[in-house]
Amino acid sequence: MIGAARIVATLAWRNLWRNHRRTLIMLAATTIAVWAMIFMTALMRGMVNDMVRDGVESLPGHVQVHHPAFRDDPSIGNTIPISDADIIAAFEAGGFAAWSSRINVPAMITSERETRGVTLFGIDPALDRNLTFVADGIVDGRFLVDADDKGLLVGRKLVETLETALGKRVVLMSQDPDNEIVDRGFRIVGVFEANLESQEETMVFAGKATVRNLLGVGDRVTEIAILGDDYRDVEPVYRKVVDLLDAESGAGDVEILRWTELNTYLGTMLKVMDGFVLIWTVVIFLALSFGLVNTLVMAVFERVREIGLMLALGMRPISVMSQVVLESLMLLAIGLALGTAIAWATIVPLEDGIDLSIVAEGMEFFGAATVLYPELTVFDVALANIVVLTLGFFASLSPAWRASRYEPMEAITKL
Amino acid sequence: MSTVRCIDLCKTYRQGEQDIKALDHVDLEIDKGGFVCLSAPSGGGKTTLLNAIGGLDIPDSGEVWIDGQRIDTLSKGRLAKLRLSKIGFVFQAYNLIPVLTARENVEFVMQIQGVPPAERGQRSSAILEEVGLAGLEDRRPAEMSGGQQQRVAVARAIVSQPALVLADEPTANLDSRTADDLMGLFVALNRHHETTFVIATHDQRVMAYAKRLIKMLDGRIIDDIRQQAA
Amino acid sequence: MSITLRLAWRNLWRHPRRTWLTMGAMVFSNVLLVFMITLQIGMYGLMIENTLKVLTGHMQVQAKGYKDDMKMRQVVPDIRALSAKLRDALGLETVSARASAFALASSEERSFGIQVLGVEPRYEPLVSSLPGLVKAGRFLADIDAAEIVVGSVLARNLRIRVGDEITLLGSGRDGSFAAAIATVAGIFESGVTELDRSIAQVPLVFFQDVFFMDGAGHQIVLTATDLALVGAQQAAVAELLPDGDGLTVYDWDALQPGLRQAIQADISSAFFMYAILVILVAFSVLNTQLMSVLERTREFGIVMALGVSPGRLGRLVMLETGLMGLLGLLAGASLGALFTYYFTVNGFSYPGMDEMAKAFNLPAEFYPRVTLLTLTLGPLAVFVFALLSAVYPALRLHWLHPVEAMRAA
Repeated sequence: MIGAARIVATLAWRNLWRNHRRTLIMLAATTIAVWAMIFMTALMRGMVNDMVRDGVESLPGHVQVHHPAFRDDPSIGNTIPISDADIIAAFEAGGFAAWSSRINVPAMITSERETRGVTLFGIDPALDRNLTFVADGIVDGRFLVDADDKGLLVGRKLVETLETALGKRVVLMSQDPDNEIVDRGFRIVGVFEANLESQEETMVFAGKATVRNLLGVGDRVTEIAILGDDYRDVEPVYRKVVDLLDAESGAGDVEILRWTELNTYLGTMLKVMDGFVLIWTVVIFLALSFGLVNTLVMAVFERVREIGLMLALGMRPISVMSQVVLESLMLLAIGLALGTAIAWATIVPLEDGIDLSIVAEGMEFFGAATVLYPELTVFDVALANIVVLTLGFFASLSPAWRASRYEPMEAITKL
Repeated sequence: MSTVRCIDLCKTYRQGEQDIKALDHVDLEIDKGGFVCLSAPSGGGKTTLLNAIGGLDIPDSGEVWIDGQRIDTLSKGRLAKLRLSKIGFVFQAYNLIPVLTARENVEFVMQIQGVPPAERGQRSSAILEEVGLAGLEDRRPAEMSGGQQQRVAVARAIVSQPALVLADEPTANLDSRTADDLMGLFVALNRHHETTFVIATHDQRVMAYAKRLIKMLDGRIIDDIRQQAA
Repeated sequence: MSITLRLAWRNLWRHPRRTWLTMGAMVFSNVLLVFMITLQIGMYGLMIENTLKVLTGHMQVQAKGYKDDMKMRQVVPDIRALSAKLRDALGLETVSARASAFALASSEERSFGIQVLGVEPRYEPLVSSLPGLVKAGRFLADIDAAEIVVGSVLARNLRIRVGDEITLLGSGRDGSFAAAIATVAGIFESGVTELDRSIAQVPLVFFQDVFFMDGAGHQIVLTATDLALVGAQQAAVAELLPDGDGLTVYDWDALQPGLRQAIQADISSAFFMYAILVILVAFSVLNTQLMSVLERTREFGIVMALGVSPGRLGRLVMLETGLMGLLGLLAGASLGALFTYYFTVNGFSYPGMDEMAKAFNLPAEFYPRVTLLTLTLGPLAVFVFALLSAVYPALRLHWLHPVEAMRAA
């Protein structure tokens, strides 16, 4: 058996290089196809991952906890029914990558010139530093010092529209739980940049305690945001948060959501992406398979006589079949190796990011940032390889079967 | 026990509109160690008979026995096995697998049989030397002359010491000197190994080597001559 | 049928399996291309229409810079008169003036920051889909009534119903404090949460009074008779604008640059996919035609010895490829049209599409329409590349030496 397998492999390999022109054309096609599969997938993955990362960052967190009514009605009336002290005590012990309890309410921001609607965040800088992009995004001024900080962080774009500047005062207006309009002047102490312009336009940050005083809500928060280790595997964090809150008294009435539920567009995107990668890989393979089968049919046709000879000498039909299938798989394997290598070689130099700022607003329309970081994953490379080899195997069966069914004598005498 | 025994073989082909009787009630028995020439004009049925004996073609009716085993009723797989162990073939031309070297062509059958590499090497070297191809073991068919190619084919046919070697026009593509050399080789092998040879040919000089000459016409045996071999 | 054509046709069918397989590659790619291009172009059209018809319109007259900064003082003076003038001069009803401000909207119980639009009740429904989406109450009627139409999410969050009152607090054009009370006339529901949460409309004159606009507004929204006519009508509008007020007219592309860029970004990734499909077909054809030429070396040698020029033989090879390509084109385009037509009737959708579609103002189910362009674009590209890939095999004939060729096995 081993002898037969060896001779089959030898024959397949040598036959592959008999018509080197044809083999090279087919190899080039396979290489391009494999490259296209992996390269395109890496670009798409990169884009979706950027979107998801930015999205998760601006949520922020992989899991969020709110009052059940808060998401539909983001009012300070809908705070989480647990004191912040209890929340901090519980979550500090949770061992999360990062987490924060915060207040976020709709507010109006007014400069001397202009008025805009924004979301006001009351944050504890110590907690939020690792959670939001804001700490790293400060381009002018400083980040907040502590929860009692009286300063305000404003996005670069909003500073422009309000015609204000670092160090100037703006007024924030919102409502307290009794629906009384409350307002307070803030000095802009920091200006931040974000990946998406909409974030720069609609988010402002102040100290948690300062915002609490303004709104008169005591020891309450509207949102707990928790960051896990990997956004793709959010379940462990989710379970832990559920367990933590189950232990809290009076916590029956909170809504705990994963980011895929918080931003269903992104959640769907990630799922659709997996489907897309598979469809794209299969479609490309199918386009390639016509050429592959064609090549095999030709190869078998040219070798009718020697196949007949092998059968006449006592080679089993299954061995003849394996020989053709193996030849095809060898061709595909080389194409896969080359295609994967070239894909790697073309993606690695691009991993610092592809600048798409010419279509920046278009990318924002998709919810994506302007620098695209292609992402080459082992999974996608493996998928391309498995799809090509598996489908290649099935595509080769028909010509191989025909070869093994030749009548030895007819084949030998055929001219 | 005879090596080959054919009983009442019939085989009809359709060619265009016509039915051609390639074998018409053929009875034949060949003893062990025989050296038989089948001679017939083109279309006389000699190739068909040879193929029936080699299990490459199934007759319409009748029986074929090789070494006491009936073969016309065997499955394809069993036939392949039988050919592997009992029968060696030498064809008219295109006898070798183009991508394999002389040695690999000779070892081909042994490799399928699962003979261990060391033994394979030994046997192929010995047999290649015997057919006069020492030093050419690593050449591919395209790098050898027609006579050398046929010698490789003969070496392959006899390397697994089959009871029977079937040769179909083995000299058709050879010049007369090379053909003589090849027939000399057949005779020597027949003598040393007691291998039975059945050779289909219409070459007069080949027939001269035969101990027994069977003439066919229109699918029937018309003459069966025992003669003194040259 | 000329002898060359007949010869080409017969040569094509010497290896029927090979020809079928090569054509199969063409047909496969063509069907995919027809379907994908039709889907894509159709979706772009819908995406543009649906995005623009909400608020943007096809063109807007604004003070220069307003679209980027949206500042209260970047105004179009005497906006109703200019709007009327444009309507008359263009003979176009679909012209409506707007003013816009950010304000805090408060009910008895709640307050939220929103964008308040002052609109012309008579003309707004002609340029925007929002008035048609009023689900409770009615749209605005009088141009100076203290009425307001709000989005459904905002209404829910403010806990108000039709007939309730809303207080608006904001800054006027000059930066001074502006406040007003308006009665809720209607509630619209667009299905886009952002809009339903953050937009309210009031009559233009009422808006001008509240925010001290002094007859001015911010945008005149125009909808052209057809998206394709925007360019011409934009020029006509530009002619009609008064000098010296710093006014300009932007087309939808300037107003929503994201839209065209999103389409461009999508087109380039789609183009990459199409190119790969076409290239793979080209390789298939190259392989087939090269084999077909190589195996006929002997035959070509004979006819060349008889005096047939290599150029002529080259043309024969090209003709064979052309015939094969034509068959692939016809079969591919027909099958592609049929395949796409199935979705024209039954609608096209994939799991997760409703969620994605919402983000691009698209319906959850899509009914693609095959047009001549979408039908022929892909298959023609495949045809051209098939021909190009046969050039090398055809050129090889020039290097053929008759005597050597005849000796070839």
